Amino acid sequence: MAMIREVFKHLFKRPVTVKYPFEKTPTADRYRGKHEFYVDRCVGCGLCARECPALAIELVPSDKNVNGRIPVFYLDRCIFCGQCERICPRAAIRLTKFYELASPDRKTLVYSAG
Amino acid sequence: MSYYQVPIGPQHPAIKEAFQFNFILDGEVIVDVKPRLGFVHRGIEKGMELRTWVQGIFLAERICGICNVPHTTCYCLAVEKLYDVDVPERAKYLRIIINELNRIHSHLLWIGVLGMELGFHTLFMYVWRDREKVMDLVEMISGNRVTPSMNCIGGVVYDITPEMIPIIKRNLDNLEERTKYYKSVLEEDPSIRARTVDVGVLSTDKALDLCAVGPTARASNVKSDVRFDDPYTLYDEIDFNLITYDTCDVWGRAMVRVDETLESISVVRQALDKMRPGPINVKVKRIPPVGEATARVEAPRGELLHYVKSDGKETPYRAKMRTPTLANIPSLCEMLKGYHIADIPAIVASIDPCYCCTERVMFIDPDKGKKWIWSYDELRNYSRKYYGVGV
Amino acid sequence: MDNVFTLIRIFIFPGLLFLSILAFLFEWIDRKAYARFQNRIGPLYAGPSGILQPIADFIKLMGKEDITPRYVDTLIFNNAPIFAVAIPFFASLYLPMDGSPILPSFEGDVVLLLTLMTLYTIIVFIAGWASTNRFSTVGAARAILQFLAYEIPMFISIASVAVYVGSTSLTYISMNQPVPMILLQPIGFIVFIISMQAELERIPFDIPEAESEIVAGWLTEYCGPKLAFLRFAEDLRLVFCSGLATAIFLAGGSGPILPPVVWFVLKMIFVVLLSSYIRSLFARFRIDQMVSGCWRYLIPLSILQLILTRFVGVGLRWL
Repeated sequence: MAMIREVFKHLFKRPVTVKYPFEKTPTADRYRGKHEFYVDRCVGCGLCARECPALAIELVPSDKNVNGRIPVFYLDRCIFCGQCERICPRAAIRLTKFYELASPDRKTLVYSAG
Repeated sequence: MSYYQVPIGPQHPAIKEAFQFNFILDGEVIVDVKPRLGFVHRGIEKGMELRTWVQGIFLAERICGICNVPHTTCYCLAVEKLYDVDVPERAKYLRIIINELNRIHSHLLWIGVLGMELGFHTLFMYVWRDREKVMDLVEMISGNRVTPSMNCIGGVVYDITPEMIPIIKRNLDNLEERTKYYKSVLEEDPSIRARTVDVGVLSTDKALDLCAVGPTARASNVKSDVRFDDPYTLYDEIDFNLITYDTCDVWGRAMVRVDETLESISVVRQALDKMRPGPINVKVKRIPPVGEATARVEAPRGELLHYVKSDGKETPYRAKMRTPTLANIPSLCEMLKGYHIADIPAIVASIDPCYCCTERVMFIDPDKGKKWIWSYDELRNYSRKYYGVGV
Repeated sequence: MDNVFTLIRIFIFPGLLFLSILAFLFEWIDRKAYARFQNRIGPLYAGPSGILQPIADFIKLMGKEDITPRYVDTLIFNNAPIFAVAIPFFASLYLPMDGSPILPSFEGDVVLLLTLMTLYTIIVFIAGWASTNRFSTVGAARAILQFLAYEIPMFISIASVAVYVGSTSLTYISMNQPVPMILLQPIGFIVFIISMQAELERIPFDIPEAESEIVAGWLTEYCGPKLAFLRFAEDLRLVFCSGLATAIFLAGGSGPILPPVVWFVLKMIFVVLLSSYIRSLFARFRIDQMVSGCWRYLIPLSILQLILTRFVGVGLRWL
């Protein structure tokens, strides 16, 4: 009974539902989404793989840097905490705003650049 | 008189997580309750022993989806006690802000859940729509709507820029207006009052006897709040009230939570005004010194306790969490006796259960093939012997 | 020729097919209105603006596996949905949708219709009881308890109208209302709407199938085609009760310009919207609160209305 007037007014308001995926709400600037990896900045120190709480980064051999290895990101294990971005001494990892990562196949959720 | 047993759980539309209460009923009246927990046991305390100190923050965050900020804050406070380091002032205010935003979000979620348990879907939809504003604020500050991951050992990781402050204040003004409206709805709506007033009464003596915590105790006129009893970060410099009600029923618990939401909005405003520019974290070594430390914070559901013990290695030797819902379960069993089946959802929801936080200790002796559960007296005797205090 | 015409009237228009279409339409209106009151969209994608959603739900449920648990009473369990659908169908054939009802009306058919509604509640009870599930037993017991509460105010409010008009034939009542009864007997209308809400088991009186307490109440063990039929029966009851409300209180069928059927359906839609509005305003009452509330407030109000019937329209007669 207490909501009588409020509920009636809502009959004439626009619904707040966002018709995803046809409409999308904007994400904040700091949103932690999919990684972006800058191969040329990486030195192969391995700090990201050591610090990851979810063991989602694996170092694979590569000839792009002096230590001979670059990280590969397993997005199905990642918890998007941002530790790898913070700990990297060369700012080679950046978390973008892209979040639509659902996929029926786990093999597509491996991100490696380079 | 024939009793029959109705199990609520582990699968039931009314409950969000898997737990079981076996109700012994006489018609529609509850005679006795036997709780059975442990369905959501995930081995987090063991997991803490396998991860480094910094990785433990993220594991602590995922103990609970709703009250994740108090878990990280408590863990970081405990580990900072091991290091004996003091975080910068700005970091303390930022911790207050994010904790109180989490409290607002949790209490608004709870009001919606109460509405849903009572069959009042309209209230549920409206409150959860307004809760989106809090999650948008948290996303703006930290980058994630639900798990901000803002705490680190030695301070916080994300800062609030001056451009964000007017946006936060505008959203808080809006939220305050809507929360006052929901308070008036809870006070005046006859169907909500019929379902919550004088339902699930827990008298003050019983609340003290059974160690109830949080809004469950504060609605029974027990003045206990960790922010007042044992101020952490900088709560002693902020001016806000300890909310108690003396109705001791589900309605009282609802009103305590609504009033706490209004207080939290005022706390966030004060913290935003009092913050001064400065560093937001200090660097600490990778491995803390040997020792053990405990920290308590006021989670939205009550008093949360973390205990960590270090023996100089990369991973903790032991980490123990005691969550408020575990402390409220005996009170819940007491509250349910003598009421109808129809009151079960309202009463169970009124302690704001978060079963992913609770765990139970069970001893299994694989050689003898026995398993048993310790009673309260056995636990007390064991702890007295352990600490060398007289039996 | 006459027989063919009657058969068309019974089965197609305004008979069973029309009633089925109305049932699905009213479920859509109810869900859309309920969603709009809650600031949501409601059904959207099945058909334009989601209008085919109830039909899609029906078809989906018909396609599911039909499970009969081992210990149920199979005779009652399997046949209850059929009775549940048949009773509102039969009762709706007495509604004067286009001026005259499909089956010939007679003095006292209002009593027949109310008896049919009672029979439905008996079906609910034995369906829940035959399910031999704890939750169904509790739901069935609650349905009977609720029935004790709302039946009497409903009867008395309809009786007030019948006393005023001077007949117990539904067609006569709906045709002879120069001023709609809602204006002459507003208390009776309010009592009827509240009792209708309780009969249709909608919030605030959806106690027999309270989702958060006893899973789905008496419906718990039903799945697949049987559940499809039971839900269809609920929609048919919504059609029937709103039709009853229109015929008795809103001078069903009479109005300028448009044919009587259109006016009847429009007034039924008004009743459905009113029921959706009430549904979105309240929390669910407890069974003892509901029974005591009905006996303490609704029955005295309806008796008051019956007493006031003597004085209804007195002012109008002087005009």
